Amino acid sequence: MFFTLASGAFAALALLQQIDTTVTAQPGQRLVVDSYGGEIAVKTWGRNAVRVEADPPSRTSVEISSSGGVVSVRSEGRRGPPATVDYTITVPAWMGLDLSGVYTDVKVAGVRAPITVETVQGEVDVAGGEGTISLRSVQGAVKLQDAKGRIDVHSVNEEVRVSNASGEITAETVNGDVVLEQVDATSLDATTVNGDLGYDGPIRNGGRYTLSTHNGDITLAATERTNATVMVSTFSGDFESDFPVPLRETRKGRRFSFNLGGGSAQVSLESFQGTIRLVRPGHVNQERDQEDRDHKGSDHDDDSAR
Amino acid sequence: MTPPGTGVTTLEHQATGRTDSDAVDATLAASGDAHAFERLYRAHLGRVSSLVRRMLGDEDPDDVIQDVFVRAWQKLGTFRGESAFGTWLHRLAVNVILGRRETLGIRRQRHLDGDAVLESVPSRRTTPEISMDFEAAIDRLPEGARQVFVLHDVEGYRHEEIAGMLGLATGTSKSQLHRARMALRRHLER
Amino acid sequence: MSDQWTDRLSEYLDDELPPDERVALEAHLRQCAGCGAVLADLKRIATRARGLEDRLPERDLWPGIAARIGLDTGERPVVDLDAVRVRRRVSFSLPQLIAAGIGLVALSGGTAWVLHPPARTVVAVREAPAAPVVTVANRSSVAGQRYASAVADLERVLDQGRGRLDTATVRVILRNLATIDSAIAQAQRALAADSANVYLNSHLAETRQRKLELLRQAAALVSSVS
Repeated sequence: MFFTLASGAFAALALLQQIDTTVTAQPGQRLVVDSYGGEIAVKTWGRNAVRVEADPPSRTSVEISSSGGVVSVRSEGRRGPPATVDYTITVPAWMGLDLSGVYTDVKVAGVRAPITVETVQGEVDVAGGEGTISLRSVQGAVKLQDAKGRIDVHSVNEEVRVSNASGEITAETVNGDVVLEQVDATSLDATTVNGDLGYDGPIRNGGRYTLSTHNGDITLAATERTNATVMVSTFSGDFESDFPVPLRETRKGRRFSFNLGGGSAQVSLESFQGTIRLVRPGHVNQERDQEDRDHKGSDHDDDSAR
Repeated sequence: MTPPGTGVTTLEHQATGRTDSDAVDATLAASGDAHAFERLYRAHLGRVSSLVRRMLGDEDPDDVIQDVFVRAWQKLGTFRGESAFGTWLHRLAVNVILGRRETLGIRRQRHLDGDAVLESVPSRRTTPEISMDFEAAIDRLPEGARQVFVLHDVEGYRHEEIAGMLGLATGTSKSQLHRARMALRRHLER
Repeated sequence: MSDQWTDRLSEYLDDELPPDERVALEAHLRQCAGCGAVLADLKRIATRARGLEDRLPERDLWPGIAARIGLDTGERPVVDLDAVRVRRRVSFSLPQLIAAGIGLVALSGGTAWVLHPPARTVVAVREAPAAPVVTVANRSSVAGQRYASAVADLERVLDQGRGRLDTATVRVILRNLATIDSAIAQAQRALAADSANVYLNSHLAETRQRKLELLRQAAALVSSVS
């Protein structure tokens, strides 16, 4: 799923400027990129410097500056909104990122620092990040891997996927799935309205895990040895488990809880009308992949067509 | 009449001209009078509590008892006074109890066939508390047989009503009642 | 004693046998002492069941009931009741609601509260200490109005500014608002049949919160491209 232009057409014959600028990066500085449309691709190197490569068309200028705690890269239209610009930016791994755009895809690899990304019509694909990580898109999938810290990933109309990550995780979308695999969350808040949720990772003692959807299934990896108090809530959904669970408590309608192991973690699984499943670790995505195969070929509304 | 200044007046039941304290309190409670609702709660707690306990068997009834009265508070606006408040509350309690029994894909034996129900109630132990023993025996009936027994023999519903409430055929309700009674025979004082 | 007759004894006792079967059973009873003994037992059981006394709960449940329906029992200060309600909802993403700066916590009955940031106490419609009774109608109308007002404001911003957004973005936002509205409507219908349901109440509140968040996001987008 890629961006589209809001106004005007990109003329293939327009004059392109070639930009290749390197500025020194002071310890503690962060990179701020404000791009209207195009791609922002960030990678890392061993130098304490920021290299910006871009090829904006003539009606768009790129401003690069370094002052205070910020190295700033910004595209401006000379007349009207800026055109799309594809950036390739190389930064030191310690450099925090603040990347935003409207019709902007963002790709980051190798950064070991806080990362904030905000786009409207664009995909976000980040491999890396430490500390506070916030990735947001409206129309675009958001993918994060190899990260740790306080993680906040949001989409509206697409899937959110987190893998090989650890820390306190919030993952949200409205019309898409939330997939968490090889994730070690000490706390988790995963929600969607029209999509499935899957968590395959350890349930930590004392952790809090909330998975909530309206129109979708929840699949959580657990075993008899997991230490959790599990609260299952649904209106018209079902509950299944790959292993026996001790249902001894009073059940009010479709809301009940049970303890696994010592009951240390708090797990809340809520689906208005989907199936809530406990499966053994490693099997979360099997269910999902099977359903994907079952539903292959269904219509997909392509919002990029205008 | 109540003293002036309290904001509470005694209402007359317009249809019959007689004062029904439950109907009065229900009207007051429907308009938000907490004290009126508490009076209703205290007046009917025994019957509701007994129904919930016996229908649930050996499960903790307190949450469900609370659920019944919370639901009654919510539904007070629908009480028209055509039946006695206690009757209305009792039917609401049955609905609350049965509404929570839907299972989520986990099968439980509700209505046992054959002789299995006769085996699940242990034989009478010698104890001076015969009525507690009888209650305990009711608690240990299988769920389906217990519900039918409580609704029919304890609460006085007819089989047609029970069948409708539990989603059974009338014949099944009758056979479940019989099996429950036969299982309880062992606990009779002789 | 034959099973065929034994199995009909309860119906006979309850006067539910058809006349011809009743006659046949009575004829059998005249000859079968065993069935007669069973019948006597069944009669004693039914009689004993009718005479069972009421069993009260072991503890007073009224405080819990009053708290759930939002009544001030006079035993605790007002703010404690609200704190109890808030604590009961912590497991349903309250930190998320607080972080958003404006949140909704549902009460039984399908009403919605507006939870102010932690610096202020929860909105409680208690106009005067001399009036301890807080009606559900009062509370729901205030909270419902606030939610509706917030939604209306944000929808107005989106409507007035949507021309600044491209049609694809507008379409995505509207489609997802419709998805959330559909979820809200389903939750409301479910609540109408089960208004005390704890899960449904919190689910409705959270789904409404999702709508507010999406509208805020859309309004922010409109502002950012103006």
